[in-house]
Amino acid sequence: MRRAHAFLIAWAAVVTLPLLWAVVSSLKTDREILTSPWSLPATPRFDNWSRAWNQADIGRYFGNSAVVVGCALLLTMLLGATTAYALARYPFRGNRILYFGFVAGMLFPVFLALVPLFFVVKQLGLLGTYPGLILVYTAYALPFTIFFLHAFFRTLPTALAEAAFLDGCSHWGVFFRVMLPLARPGLVTVAIFNFLGLWNQYLLPLVLNPDPDRYVLAQGLAALSVSQGYRSDWSGLFAGLTIAMLPVLAAYVIFQRQIRSGLTAGAVR
Amino acid sequence: MATVTYTQATRIYPGTERPAVDHLDLEIGDGEFLVLVGPSGCGKSTSLRMLAGLEDVDEGSIHIDNRDVTHLPPKARDIAMVFQNYALYPHMTVYENMAFALKLRKTSKAEIDRRVKEAAGLLQLEEYLGRKPKALSGGQRQRVAMGRAIVREPQVFLMDEPLSNLDAKLRVQTRTQIASLQAKLGITTVYVTHDQIEAMTMGHRVAVMLDGVLQQVDTPRALYDKPSNVFVAGFIGSPAMNIKTVSLTDGGAKFIDMIVPLTREEVEKARANGGGDKVTIGFRPEDCDLVGPTEGGLPVVVELVEDLGSDANVYGHAALDGVSERFVVRTDRRHMPNMGDTVFVKPRADHNHAFHAATGERI
Repeated sequence: MRRAHAFLIAWAAVVTLPLLWAVVSSLKTDREILTSPWSLPATPRFDNWSRAWNQADIGRYFGNSAVVVGCALLLTMLLGATTAYALARYPFRGNRILYFGFVAGMLFPVFLALVPLFFVVKQLGLLGTYPGLILVYTAYALPFTIFFLHAFFRTLPTALAEAAFLDGCSHWGVFFRVMLPLARPGLVTVAIFNFLGLWNQYLLPLVLNPDPDRYVLAQGLAALSVSQGYRSDWSGLFAGLTIAMLPVLAAYVIFQRQIRSGLTAGAVR
Repeated sequence: MATVTYTQATRIYPGTERPAVDHLDLEIGDGEFLVLVGPSGCGKSTSLRMLAGLEDVDEGSIHIDNRDVTHLPPKARDIAMVFQNYALYPHMTVYENMAFALKLRKTSKAEIDRRVKEAAGLLQLEEYLGRKPKALSGGQRQRVAMGRAIVREPQVFLMDEPLSNLDAKLRVQTRTQIASLQAKLGITTVYVTHDQIEAMTMGHRVAVMLDGVLQQVDTPRALYDKPSNVFVAGFIGSPAMNIKTVSLTDGGAKFIDMIVPLTREEVEKARANGGGDKVTIGFRPEDCDLVGPTEGGLPVVVELVEDLGSDANVYGHAALDGVSERFVVRTDRRHMPNMGDTVFVKPRADHNHAFHAATGERI
């Protein structure tokens, strides 16, 4: 028991300390970071944050990320939930094949698709645009979403849908008024997973989003650290990193309970 | 209020040969409480779900009040159903659960409120209207499910084993509540159960099903007194009727030295249609007496005596044509035999049921 605790504490330290260090560093001056990396800042410097936000364009990248990830998430959840529901609750010819098609999408390494994807997006005239990125993000996130929600919808009792039909619901009514609210823990869980995954996405925008004005956060941060060269603004970089982490952290804290209940609810059966 | 008519209604599940419900013909009168009863897998729930529109009708038709509903969707049939597991919406309060159907039909808020409050009063649910189903006990959930059906004021109530998730005491209590509620509301009700006591106590008429085929529809009393075949005879009544196939003589059916008398007509019928010289005789445990050794009873060796307080069930066996057969007799507590005793069982005259040995039909 004791040993297990010690292990968990060590593990937590390994995971959280670097993060804490980055946050602390974002409040120091460059000089402090380089000369005494372990100490706390003499005075917390929040101007690092405003500098990163305004001068290093983190604010704009943040906005780009919010638009792209927000829209992609909305589209993913809408399409994913309806598709998963139809696949889980309506038997029809080709149901299994469709389902396995989506599941196979999870196994496909995105890396291999990059070059053809680039040409597809380019020929659609969507290269470096919001819609282009949003559509690709949606396609990227759909397989897992459908896989997860499919399992979730299957566990919901059939009698509930039947009761709703008898009460006068149409198929859409049953879905939106009864099944969707019941699937909320699952929806929240999968939405958080998707949010984390898409928010930190780097490879796809790197290939499909070459316009610096439309850079998403990960691209912006990378550009920041590269472009600095010798004229380094370390505190600004750390401040940018911290800003990028905050929404993810906030989302997790807010929905923590639901994520846990969603994970187990999906796991049973 | 309405009548319900099944005409040759048949349901064959995809991928199966045998129909789950086989050419069902059944008429249910306006305001009637009809109970569908039978062992599990007999098609009683399927019949109910066909009426609800949750199951396709592959052949035949179903009418509600002369309106053909065979292929209408559930919501167009004006029926309400109470499910075995209640199927309450977990994300809605009791009030919202009960108001849901009315809300979908765009009933005015005041009217919804009036009806929900009225049903809640009827079912003693007023104090729970703000709760979610998970904060209710099993009995309360059952009442909410009833309430959800009542507020609809539908043409027909359907109930699919609504009591099977309650404990024994609550079940008996709720049984009478449902029956009196139905009498008060006067709404045509179809009730499915596997419990023959529920069927006998609640139904105006009872329909007994087996393997998708309707066996008999009649009042509980008629089912008990004149079962139309061997299956109904054995299914209705507890403990079950003693049913044995024995040799036929000119005077009746021969149980070793005991003759159960049959009229000449009955004997002729038993012999016709390949009956040979066998006949199936049934007598209920409560329709026989324990008599003295010289009074012409059937000698039965006692294996088990169940003392029920009011009376006792005596289980034993006797060798008929060399084969050991089990018998049950209900007896007065004051004359309880002991295990291993031999008792002499004599069915009361005029309380026997004779069936054709080959077809199982009543003679």
